[in-house]
Amino acid sequence: MTSSPTRRGANAALLTFASALTIGAATLAGPAFAQARDPGAEAFVQAKGQRVISVLANKSMPDAQKKQIFKQAVDELADVPRITNFVLGKYARTITPEQKARFTPVFRTYAENVYQNRIDDYRGEKLTVTGSVIRKPGDVIVNTTISGGQIKSPLPVTWRVLGSGQTWKVVDVQFKGVWLAITQQQDFVSTIDNAGGNVDVLINQLQKGGSNRR
Amino acid sequence: MSDQPQSPRRKAAGRRFAVAVGLMSAASVLALAPVAQAQEAVPTVPAPPVSAPAVADDSAALAVNDPLEGANRASFKFSMGVDKVLLGPIAHGYMAVTPDVVRDRVSNAVYNLGEPNTVINHVLQGKPKRAMRSTTRFLVNSTIGVLGLFDVAAKMNLPPRAADFGQTFGTWGAQPGAYLYVPVMGPMNVRDGVGRALDIFTDPVRIVGGGLDTDFGKARLAVTILDTRALADPALRAVKDSNDPYATARSAYTQYREAFIREATGEMEDLPDFDTPPADAPPATPNP
Repeated sequence: MTSSPTRRGANAALLTFASALTIGAATLAGPAFAQARDPGAEAFVQAKGQRVISVLANKSMPDAQKKQIFKQAVDELADVPRITNFVLGKYARTITPEQKARFTPVFRTYAENVYQNRIDDYRGEKLTVTGSVIRKPGDVIVNTTISGGQIKSPLPVTWRVLGSGQTWKVVDVQFKGVWLAITQQQDFVSTIDNAGGNVDVLINQLQKGGSNRR
Repeated sequence: MSDQPQSPRRKAAGRRFAVAVGLMSAASVLALAPVAQAQEAVPTVPAPPVSAPAVADDSAALAVNDPLEGANRASFKFSMGVDKVLLGPIAHGYMAVTPDVVRDRVSNAVYNLGEPNTVINHVLQGKPKRAMRSTTRFLVNSTIGVLGLFDVAAKMNLPPRAADFGQTFGTWGAQPGAYLYVPVMGPMNVRDGVGRALDIFTDPVRIVGGGLDTDFGKARLAVTILDTRALADPALRAVKDSNDPYATARSAYTQYREAFIREATGEMEDLPDFDTPPADAPPATPNP
C-alpha cells in the first residue's frame, strides 16, 4: 500500500505541527510568528496597558484621585468613541443624535464602574507582551500576560488594537476567551431588541446601574 | 467535571444529585469558571494571520444560535434564583472561611481527578504529547502532589492543559448547534451537552473510584460543585452587572467554548470588523 508511508508522513507532519504549536503556545514570543508581529502595536500595549494596571494596583493612592487617573489612562489606552459605537451593534445605524449624546456619557460611567470592579478581581502588577498577530494591516492582536499582585500564575490577556505606526488604540480586550466589547455588544443589542428596538430603555437602565437595580 | 448517576434505580441518590446539579446550573457560568489553572486554554492566537472574511457580520464571535430562547430564559431565571438563595451563599461562606491557599488546594484536587478524562480527549484529538504530559501530571500530582492537592507537575514544567469531549468534537469539526440553558446543567450547546454526557460516562475516575452510589462519588460531586461555584464567582458577578444577564452569559459561554476549541486546533479567531455595524438594523425586532 502506498497510503501507509504517506499516512506516516502526514502523522509525522501533524506531530511536528502539534508540537510546534505547543512549544509556540508555551513560549509565545517564539520566533515562529515573528514575521506576523507588529512592534508598534506591541510597544503601545506594553506602555499604556501597563499604565492602567499600575494605576489599579496602586494601593496608596486615594480613591478619588485613582478614579481620575484611571480615566485618563483608559483614554490613552482605548478608543472610547469607537467602542461606544461598536457596543450598539446594529443600533449604531439607527440611534438618533440626541440618543447618542445621552448614551455616550452614560455608557462611559457604566463601563468604568463595571470594569474597574471586574479588573479588581484579578488585580495584577506587571504586563508583559508575549507576541502579536497582524489580522490585517492596522488591525492587530497583541498577546500579553499579567502577573504579580494577586495573580498566582501569569494570566493571559489579549488586546485588539487598531491604528498604524506609532498611533494605536485598543478597541477590545479578551480574557479567558471572552472579548469584552463583543460581549457588551450582545448584552446591549439583546436589551434593545427586547425593548422593541427602543434605545432609550437601555440608556435608562444604564443610568440606574445595570440589571441589579431594575 | 462532575459525576452523574448512571442508574435510575437509585432514586434517593438521583434526587439528591438532581438538586445538587441544579445548584450547579446556577453556578451556571460554569464555562466562565474554567478550571482556573488551565490558563493556557485562553487563546493566544498561535496561527499565522489569515485575511479577514469579506463579510464581517457573520463572524463566529457574533453568531447567536438560540432557537429555544424563551425556554432557556426561563431556565436561566430559575437557576439564578436558586443560586441567589442557596448556592451563592454557600459558596460565599466557603470563600469567607477558607484562605486562597486552601481553595487552591481544593481546585487542584478537583482538576486532578479530571485528568484521566483529559488524557482520553488528548488521545482522541490526536495529540500524543499532550496526552503523555497529562498522564505524567496525573501520576506525579496524585502521588508526590498528595492526591492532587499540590500541582507539583506544573513546577516541573508540565502545566495543565484541559480537554473534554465537547472540545474533541469541536476539533473534529462538529458545529456547536443550538444554545441550551439546561436547569440541571447550566449553559451549553448541543455539541457540548453530548460531550459532557460522555465526559461523565467515560470518566475513568468515576468507573474506578465510584459514582454517586459511593461516598467518594458524593464527596467528589459536592466538592466539585463548591469549587466550580467559587471559581465562577467573579464571572457571575460580571453577568449580574450586565443589562441582559442571559444574553451576556450566552455570549461569554459561546466565546469561551469556541476559544477552548481553537486552543486545540490552533485556528485563528474570526473577528467582526470593528467599525461596520451589522446591516440588518430593523428599528424594532422584539425577541420571541
